[in-house]
Amino acid sequence: MCNPKHTRSQENIVEYIQPWQLVIVIALMGVFIPLPRPAEKSTDRNIRIEASRFNYSPSELYVNPGDKVTIELVSNDVTHGFSLDSYGLNLTAVPGQTARVTFVADHPGAFRWRCTVTCGNMHPFMIGKLQVGPNLLLWRAITLGTLAVAAVFWSVHK
Amino acid sequence: MKKEFIARLVIILFLGIAILIPVAGRQFFPIFSKDKLVEIHARMPENGGWSPAIIKAAVGQPIHLRLISDDVLHSFAISQSDQPPLDLPPGEVVDTTLIFNQPGRYTFYCTRWCGVNHWRMRGIIEVSGPGQTTDKQPEPLYLRLNLDLDAPHLASVIPEKQPSAERGAQFANLLPVYATDPYTYQTNSPTQLWQQLRTEANLRELSDADLWDVVAYIWQNHTTPQKVAQGANLFSTNCAACHGETGRGDGVMFANLPAMNPQDKKHGLTRPPDFTNQQVLLGASPAILEGKIIRGGMGTGMPYWGPIFRDDQIDDLVSYIYTFVLQPPD
Amino acid sequence: MTRLNLARYPWIKSLLLSRWPQFLTHAVLLAGFIFTILVGLLGPVVGSHNFAVIFVWIAWWSALKLFFIPLGGRSWCSICPIPVPGEWLQRGGILKSTGQGWGLGKRWPKFLRGNWIQSGVFLLIGLFSAVILTSARITALVLLGVILLSLVLSLFYERRAFCRYICPIGGFTGLYALAAPLEVRSKYPSVCAGEAGKIHYAACPWGINPLALKANTNCGLCMECLRVCPNDNFAVNLRPFGSDLGPQTKLHLDETFLGLVMLSSVLVDAAIFLGPWGALKSAAYTIGSIPWLVFTTVFLGISLTVIPGLYALAIWTGQQLSKSQIPFRKALAQQGQVLIPLGLMAWIAFTISFAFTKFSYVLPVLSDPVGLGWNLLALGKPAWTVDTNLIYLILKAAALVGGLLWSSRVALRLADGTNPHKQSLPTIGFCMLFTLVMLWLLIG
Repeated sequence: MCNPKHTRSQENIVEYIQPWQLVIVIALMGVFIPLPRPAEKSTDRNIRIEASRFNYSPSELYVNPGDKVTIELVSNDVTHGFSLDSYGLNLTAVPGQTARVTFVADHPGAFRWRCTVTCGNMHPFMIGKLQVGPNLLLWRAITLGTLAVAAVFWSVHK
Repeated sequence: MKKEFIARLVIILFLGIAILIPVAGRQFFPIFSKDKLVEIHARMPENGGWSPAIIKAAVGQPIHLRLISDDVLHSFAISQSDQPPLDLPPGEVVDTTLIFNQPGRYTFYCTRWCGVNHWRMRGIIEVSGPGQTTDKQPEPLYLRLNLDLDAPHLASVIPEKQPSAERGAQFANLLPVYATDPYTYQTNSPTQLWQQLRTEANLRELSDADLWDVVAYIWQNHTTPQKVAQGANLFSTNCAACHGETGRGDGVMFANLPAMNPQDKKHGLTRPPDFTNQQVLLGASPAILEGKIIRGGMGTGMPYWGPIFRDDQIDDLVSYIYTFVLQPPD
Repeated sequence: MTRLNLARYPWIKSLLLSRWPQFLTHAVLLAGFIFTILVGLLGPVVGSHNFAVIFVWIAWWSALKLFFIPLGGRSWCSICPIPVPGEWLQRGGILKSTGQGWGLGKRWPKFLRGNWIQSGVFLLIGLFSAVILTSARITALVLLGVILLSLVLSLFYERRAFCRYICPIGGFTGLYALAAPLEVRSKYPSVCAGEAGKIHYAACPWGINPLALKANTNCGLCMECLRVCPNDNFAVNLRPFGSDLGPQTKLHLDETFLGLVMLSSVLVDAAIFLGPWGALKSAAYTIGSIPWLVFTTVFLGISLTVIPGLYALAIWTGQQLSKSQIPFRKALAQQGQVLIPLGLMAWIAFTISFAFTKFSYVLPVLSDPVGLGWNLLALGKPAWTVDTNLIYLILKAAALVGGLLWSSRVALRLADGTNPHKQSLPTIGFCMLFTLVMLWLLIG
């Protein structure tokens, strides 16, 4: 049996805080609170990427933030390119001529790299993925989504 | 209704423009030019190569070329000429004008690797008219001497340690005249020259290793650092895709084939030989190497570069190739 | 019910009532359509440099997914050039009907009605999408086929048969229009009932009775009912997002199935086009090969069994948990509204991912539309490239999370059993799973 007096005071609290206000606060918390970065030692990495139509091998890379990464781009059939989102790197490799670049992985997150020399029909979709450290944006988005659903649940009373 | 009439007119006008631009635009250009206009499409050789692949022109007639790549990055170059190649990014139109002052057959070719058949991507420009045809290159040495390019040439003697041209220089004054003769250099492999020098009385006190240093010095003397650098450039652009950037025969085009064993007399299709293997290169004379580059066709997929390179370019290449064994990079 | 009738502003009203603005838009777009077909057939072979490929699959597709649909519902249908030649023949006039039209005017067969054909066509395009999206020639042939089909259908069947029953774009646009903030509704249905009502029904090329219009699904915003109404009884309303989503709208099974097809398509397309898996791209591209047959099987398996199966499981579980009285089939159909905001936002996120990085192709292709080496816009080399950075990742994440939030609200609104929270929980779980996979594909 529910206690009428108890329900009324609950309603008062609910009236003070609008559901949408709570959603915003939790959302902002989820998105902006900086998480402590696990201190990983940064290493030097040498990665050889072979490009063919329309595939990079390897196409998914994981490095730690702060690593000094050297990419060697080798083309196996025709001229391919390599442009890494957010890092502004650009390489072009003709078969027989390896291209190299060294950079420090100081932007954390997940980034796509793309081919920059038209190499056939599927060229615009020739993509690889570099993950620097944990993909915080993904985790934040998942958290936000879960909180959003919880907020919706709470806010809709029938 | 007047409004309906206007509406129909508007439609006809708009559709007319929409149809006119793509269709008429293509025919427009050649009408106003007395010069030759040729639209050449570049495709990977598996898809057709150059089309058209034969162009006929007259001496002194400007040839306007409209070059369009239809699939991957190609480039356009004229054989045995110093004009830098034109890159053809796919989908873009590249215009250039050529004028030939002498009649003859000129080869145009692609200089950006576009697949394993890239080297087959060649076309001909036949220029007719008065005048002397372009100077033909003199017959290559291997033909004049009737050398057998396909005979095996494993070096019978190889140095124990890496020869050094600097050390060999100190014995320069002991050398017989023929040692530094260009003809000797052209017609003898390093091993053959070493064996000849081994019989010289003057050089009897030199150790085997010292003698190899001398050979290295002689080889270095027949070229210049500039020629070697140009050879390196040519190798990197034209050869490294199959022969490997380090000359080991591990180029990307044949990476899935088994490595070549130089001892094997009979073998199926293999990778190119390992130039850093002293047995392979030290037994080949510059004339043989030049012949192989010019003629190709050893049943191995090696292209023939005769129409493409000038003699001096092949010379640069040969002197660079020897540096794989006689003077490896630092 | 907050509605703002745009037609009460005189300048908007005259713009909508006059036939000339719409006609001129049709004329320009039809000319552009024909131009696109010709350039696709005659222009550069390289897809990324052909006006047809860039304008159809980057420019128009982005405009459709990011503006026309979210902000205007079926607004593209009001200016689309595809039905236009057929409609002119049907009406016997370009500007308005002369009564001397051509065409047999048959009614569309009953067994072919609904969204089933549209779902099928969308899946078919998805199977061949790797080739269609990248080949200028194929794109042009598809466009040509579509406009010819529409023309031929107009000569046999009444009204916009192609748009209503075949066009894959129309299928999902109609569905997502339920969430859009634009609508055409009669102001006072009782005013024009009876004889007057017949004028509106005769005038509507979409075959609906405008007076009885309750949901946006089949209204193409062509404004014919506005023009024909003698009593000024029609309003073009701005309204809150998602106004048609709720218990008042009855969705059918074919519409729900289309919603599910849209979800599986965006998942598979995100995996093929935006993922780092080259083997998948090659399999999707080499049509007729064994890998492509495997890809086809997996694609159809996901679209026809996995996604619908999970959805049905969610609905069934929800019904069990709340002891709902509604028959299962009806609940399956009804709850399909949940898929609408989910799909809409997922496609927005996909389009942001797909198109933003390729916007740099638009200017060069405008500068040399026919591939003859023109430089109309005097572009230097190289054309600017979009440096994709944090903003665009955040936009995608926001769209996906927003879609999840929105569809959860719709699920709760639709729950009619004794315990709406329990009933909607499995459905919301389905939405969460879908959002998780999309997040991983797009920003993971």
